[in-house]
Amino acid sequence: MGRAPLTDEQKKRVPPGQYVTEKFPVLHYGSVPRVDLARWDFKVYGEVDDPFTVTWAEYQRFPRKAVHTDIHCVTRWTKLDTDFEGVAIQHILGRAQLRPTARYVVAHCEQGYTANLPLAVLDDDDVLLADSFDGKPLEPEHGGPLRLFVPKRYFWKSAKWIRGLEFLDHDQLGFWERYGYHNDADPWREERFADG
Amino acid sequence: MPSTGSGAIAARAQVRELIGQKGHAVDNARAARARLETAFAAGDLIRTPFLDQALGDLSTALDQEEGQRLGGKSAEASRFILRAVDRALDDA
Repeated sequence: MGRAPLTDEQKKRVPPGQYVTEKFPVLHYGSVPRVDLARWDFKVYGEVDDPFTVTWAEYQRFPRKAVHTDIHCVTRWTKLDTDFEGVAIQHILGRAQLRPTARYVVAHCEQGYTANLPLAVLDDDDVLLADSFDGKPLEPEHGGPLRLFVPKRYFWKSAKWIRGLEFLDHDQLGFWERYGYHNDADPWREERFADG
Repeated sequence: MPSTGSGAIAARAQVRELIGQKGHAVDNARAARARLETAFAAGDLIRTPFLDQALGDLSTALDQEEGQRLGGKSAEASRFILRAVDRALDDA
């Protein structure tokens, strides 16, 4: 049994060079970190007037938001009609009170992984701190307990196992960007690698 | 100031050979990392901030916790980091 052919409407949602899968491939380097929620915290700092740190229990009291959208991996798979849920990034931005100098953000994750974005990309209605996929807690292999969710960019920017956001007045390359992945990562422009 | 002398030349050549050899990227990365660490310890090459960061990132990519398989992107991360290491070797 193969999957049903894509409708014309679905085909328009698949960026160039991508194929559609119904699976949710697990792609990361190294090992899946073991996270102790009793010791877990999340920090927001840098070019903000109100830096803060929350525990897992405090994070769970934030208002919830669900997003239904498509996701695109640089390894060429696209998954249509996904359902992620978590905390809207605008809630985080509002609480942190960004300074006018804040123009970029670095997501800091377990094991020292980082991913960078311009604030203009982060500050979008479909961007989340996501802790749920398909109505269930995000599995560790998919970034649980918490990952950034930036569906308009290739999925490496949706950094798994996120532990903090650092706002900066300058751009600072993240892990993959430092070693040759494209800094902008727009799937509709096929921005996979810095050298094309 | 980049290192000079026969030890530096030999170390760079051997690291590059290990980076470019046939085989699995993860194995090549482990061998190249070991040779680099030997060169640093012997004083043949000097650590630069970029190489320090690259080796740290490489360690994370190669880290394999007990009971887990290496992630599917470990080989790609190794390849990308090793390319950057290759480019940065002349500064070491």
